[in-house]
Amino acid sequence: MKKTGSRHKKAITKFLVVRGENCMACGLCARACPEGVHVREPGFNEMSTPLSHLCPGSSCAERSDSCVAVCPRRNLSVLRDPQYELLGDKRWTPDIISAVMLMAETGEPPGDISYRTGDSGDGFDRLKLAIPDWALDESGEDTEDLPPVDLGVALNRRGEGPSIRISVPFYGGGMSYGSISTCVMRMRARAAAAFGTFTCTGEGGYPDELFPYSKHVITQVATGLFGVREDTIRRAPIIEFKYAQGAKPGLGGHLLGSKVTPEVARMRESVTGVSLFSPFPFHSVYSVEDHKKHLDWIRSINPNALISVKVSSPRDIDMVAVGSYYAGAHIIHIDGGYGGTGAAPDIAKKNIAMPIEYAIPKAHRFLEKEGIRDRIALVASGGIRTPYDIIKIIALGADAAVLGTSELVALECVRCGNCEKDKGCPRGIATTDPKLQTLMDEEWGVKRISNMYAAFQEEISRILRAFGLSSIAEARGNISLLHHPSYPERRNP
Amino acid sequence: MNRSLHFTKREAEGGCGVIGVASSVPVAGRFLLRPLEQMHNRGNGKGGGIAAAGCFPGREDEYAIQVGYLDPSAIAEVEKEVFTRRYIVSEREEIPTVDDYRDVPGIEVEPPRVIRYFCRVREEELDRFMEKTGLEDRAAAEDEFIFTVSGGLDDRWYPAEGEKRAFVLSHGKDILVLKGVGYAESIARYYQLDNISAFIWIGHQRYPTRGRVWHPGGAHPFIGVNSALVHNGDLANYHSITEYLAQKGLTPRFQTDTEVAALLFDFYTRNLRYPLEYAIEAIAPTTERDFDMLPKGKQRLYRAIRAAHIHGSPDGPWFFIIARNNIAESRLELIAITDTSMLRPQVFAISRGTADIGAVASEKQAIDAFLHDFAGEGGQGVCPVADRVWVARGGSHTDGGAFIFSLEKNETGNGRKQLTCIDKFNHPVEVPGELVEPGDGPALFSIRAEGASEVEKFLNGKTPEESFSGFTALLKTADYETSAAKISGLAEAAAGDPALFDNGRLLLSMIHDRGVHYGEKKKKWITALAAAALNRLFSSLPVPAPGGGPNRNGKPGRVRGDNLAVRFGVTEAKELNSFATDIHDDAVSWTMAVDAGGFPVEGEESVAAFIVKAHEHGFRKFLVYNLAGHRFLGCGLGPESGGTVLHLYGSSGDYAGSGLDGAELHIHGDAQDQVGQILKSGRIIIHGNVGQTFLYGAKGGEAYVLGSTAGRPLINAVGSVRAVVNGTCLDYAAESFMAGESLDGGFLLINGLRINIYGEVMGMEERFPGSNFFSLASGGAGYINDPYRSMTEDQLNGAEFVEFSQKDWLVIEKYLKNNEKFFGISINGDILTVDRIRKWPQEIYRKVVAAAFW
Repeated sequence: MKKTGSRHKKAITKFLVVRGENCMACGLCARACPEGVHVREPGFNEMSTPLSHLCPGSSCAERSDSCVAVCPRRNLSVLRDPQYELLGDKRWTPDIISAVMLMAETGEPPGDISYRTGDSGDGFDRLKLAIPDWALDESGEDTEDLPPVDLGVALNRRGEGPSIRISVPFYGGGMSYGSISTCVMRMRARAAAAFGTFTCTGEGGYPDELFPYSKHVITQVATGLFGVREDTIRRAPIIEFKYAQGAKPGLGGHLLGSKVTPEVARMRESVTGVSLFSPFPFHSVYSVEDHKKHLDWIRSINPNALISVKVSSPRDIDMVAVGSYYAGAHIIHIDGGYGGTGAAPDIAKKNIAMPIEYAIPKAHRFLEKEGIRDRIALVASGGIRTPYDIIKIIALGADAAVLGTSELVALECVRCGNCEKDKGCPRGIATTDPKLQTLMDEEWGVKRISNMYAAFQEEISRILRAFGLSSIAEARGNISLLHHPSYPERRNP
Repeated sequence: MNRSLHFTKREAEGGCGVIGVASSVPVAGRFLLRPLEQMHNRGNGKGGGIAAAGCFPGREDEYAIQVGYLDPSAIAEVEKEVFTRRYIVSEREEIPTVDDYRDVPGIEVEPPRVIRYFCRVREEELDRFMEKTGLEDRAAAEDEFIFTVSGGLDDRWYPAEGEKRAFVLSHGKDILVLKGVGYAESIARYYQLDNISAFIWIGHQRYPTRGRVWHPGGAHPFIGVNSALVHNGDLANYHSITEYLAQKGLTPRFQTDTEVAALLFDFYTRNLRYPLEYAIEAIAPTTERDFDMLPKGKQRLYRAIRAAHIHGSPDGPWFFIIARNNIAESRLELIAITDTSMLRPQVFAISRGTADIGAVASEKQAIDAFLHDFAGEGGQGVCPVADRVWVARGGSHTDGGAFIFSLEKNETGNGRKQLTCIDKFNHPVEVPGELVEPGDGPALFSIRAEGASEVEKFLNGKTPEESFSGFTALLKTADYETSAAKISGLAEAAAGDPALFDNGRLLLSMIHDRGVHYGEKKKKWITALAAAALNRLFSSLPVPAPGGGPNRNGKPGRVRGDNLAVRFGVTEAKELNSFATDIHDDAVSWTMAVDAGGFPVEGEESVAAFIVKAHEHGFRKFLVYNLAGHRFLGCGLGPESGGTVLHLYGSSGDYAGSGLDGAELHIHGDAQDQVGQILKSGRIIIHGNVGQTFLYGAKGGEAYVLGSTAGRPLINAVGSVRAVVNGTCLDYAAESFMAGESLDGGFLLINGLRINIYGEVMGMEERFPGSNFFSLASGGAGYINDPYRSMTEDQLNGAEFVEFSQKDWLVIEKYLKNNEKFFGISINGDILTVDRIRKWPQEIYRKVVAAAFW
């Protein structure tokens, strides 16, 4: 992995390393720091501004051999950055944001940052892994001689058609062209290609720029049918039918006229400046036989594609899952309510869908009861942020997880929630504005997402080893890996 | 008591395929088999059933109670405790079955043994019951007694939790239900219903979402007393309806939403004795603008009905077909009600002639299949084409979304009944009676063709319009037999001379598709004769010889001037590769006729997939015939399929032309649902009506419809799709239309015209009868041919009328010219001339655009 620092001069940081004015550039701090906070560029006779975001904070600063301690002029101090506390929200805490960013920078698990859970007090933040932290920490050490953990997941289990396997238990979720730029889509696709997994076009069409990676691109047939054409359907190894989004079930999408730039309009075959509306639901699908017909239609255009059915998490998700299987789906994708960018209304994001950690076990068990669990891949999305979340949802019964926001955070999204305002993201991620797009370089983004994938991969392997498992498949539906404080009696010894 | 246990819906109901038929003469059960088979893909074989009314001649006064026994040991128990105690059984018979259920394909679980008891309630039992319940009408009390006892039987021998041993299938007079786990036609075959005759049939293919459904009690039809109901859809408010029913003392026992619908209907019509109009209003209330359009008195009445029953009103997508023996009014009835949002597909048809037939189904092709088979072997001389075909507007002030086919019990002699059809508001659906039927309809199809020399002049040298008007002028004065001979002669002539093939096909297609005045003769017979002639013409083409080598003539196919034509059927399909090699990959100059008969309706071996393969080999001109609900035709041709032309003959299925990108698709006759979704470029020409969500999400291209569209055409269309509909559209037309600027973007043009029995083009009374036109739209234009300005602002939703300018005319004129070419709807004569006065376009057309809210 290649170290890929922030594209901003000043990265997001939890601790602020402050160098006073009396520095004599002796370089002792640089020698003392294991994280590389202090640098003196060759040919300079002064120390550079400290790379604060790499600093592990006061726990390190209090040690007797820390930079603070060794500075002969007592010129260094480590403070909490007051701005840090303003980042993110309860679910995406500042620690999780900076941990994901750190993974994107280094390609390694983030070390000491406490990013295993957020502060929301429910969902993945309430669910714990049933293993002490020290055991997790230790399992990361000396792994070189151990056999690799098998993280691969088969997506086609129907026993016919193409066999498609992802080599990591996650892939990228649908983000449309229009909500993000082609540049970001390419970053995601290239990272997915490098890791033998997938990304998804969302519903805004299939940009030609993704062609070279088409083996790793899922395309979506969503309710607005924007950009859905026979040639895009034929290109895709997996076709995702988006019935609903967990962040806004029962609601359609609305792309305001100001975001319909000439490029977006071309892709969606609409007209510049005209607002676009994506309805709920499919107007041609009001029952399961309509759904089957709908799938059969797409299969008549591309008989070789796997079919994924993306739904939110309604109360009868078990029936939906089974119905999807019998209608011919290879993948049932349940999207819980924790996800969503700033474009989804808050009232919907927080109040409608069933939490994903309830929906997945419900569907998993019902599929088992029907005797078809091993004939369909169950994937989960909606607020899955970290390797810990991935392990948790898999232990609850999913085969794999779908990531969305994490990839944007790797590109330095700070969860400001302004995705839908005016021309979009001030950081150039969720925008198609030609100027804002130039804030990012494609190569940089590919490395950042790839680094994050690598770190996720390593971290997942480490957790599985700590449990004594040798493959991700063994973790599926294995709730003994989990501990929920509301059910202490289930706690493992 | 844990009531909620009862209210849990065990089986999420999915969609289904339904059909109902009412006939003035008894119809044998076997005629239902093919329509049901052709709707296989609407079910999944986990449940099917069939009901018949008017099936026990001579026993109309007795109840026919049919009990299904899953456990034969329950027979003695049930008979002792129910039948001996409560009823006087005049006859007990076990329904004969096929010996081994495994011999009937499509049945996975052994269906229950069914015993039918013809009986009446014991007098003393009934007296006691009337005393206890206070019921005074003896007939009504007997019905209620039966209902109560059957409920008790189900509770005891078919408990929700526990071993299921026996249940009541049906318990009415002159009505029967048979159902089970399997496809409907398999159930019918298993119980040997093929040869049982009845005046009314309903059938149902079930698609329950849960996979391993094993119990037959969950299959449709569900029953009231003297009624049986099948359903396609899903009630979103099952729980609230069960609460409502509980207040009336009614408990569903089988945990599916169809059962509560049957209970509701039975409760309104039998217990409350509501006339059908009230019952329909209670189930499907009139809403929004439609309510405002009702007369004041009716509004007051409906408001009262709604106040009492709104909690029992089913919500969500649903479509009910009910067979009912209306004893009080001495009628057998076939009733179909659609939900107020028209979310389920439904088609109605009526045909009058030597036998009168009313039919309703999920798909038009199922009705076609029934009429075709019944016309063929029914021995009644009926026409394989219906007189009228239409769809309902759910919850509307126009038809109420419901139609009732009634058969008066008073027989008109020789075992016939009188068929009438009315809508919810008692408006009759009429077939003009002044035209005559042929003396011997079926014989017309085998009449000797007229000599080629007589008809050849219509195939030579003239323009198609000239040939058409010349030929039809001849037919106008001719009788049926002569007409048949002439039409047949066209086919012979065109088949005999390859140079005449194309003109022959075109002329016969025009005769098949267009409405023209044929004197005293009915258009439907001319259509049927033209269809048969086209089939004969296509069948005359040579097939490739086995192995792909040259055929008998020494050449593959045959030479027709510069053109070549070949015919492929399901047996020749495998010769495609070698044939393509034999013709040196010069497929582009060949015409390929494809006989769809025998091809599966969908999947890798389907006719649609075959056409895709042939297209890959370079074939560009396809004539597909003998279609019977085949789906996805024209799908999968890929981008830039310009230059490819497909003509579809017969009953094309759902999703035709969806994804079309360049090709030209002609559908001769009615099209079904989801046609032309995501159309990108190219043309779709429909010489008939089209079903729901036509052109959903279309991006471009052109579409022309001779008839009308069902609900939600062009919904979510973007780009520059341009559609001309000569009939009208139902509600939500062009909802969320996003088709760009009003002049250079897309449009939906509604002409609101119909062709009467004299072949005259007439304006419809309401050019657009629905509401929510252009609802939520943000672009594009709507053009309405509305010379009397009958359409009002309140039929729009977020849209507005704007001035129709000369520029608009320049935009649409080109499409109207095409329209004239395809359908013969003349711009000058039929569109711009109103009340014999030639008008300016701006006096005719009105323009609708999205209102500027942002």
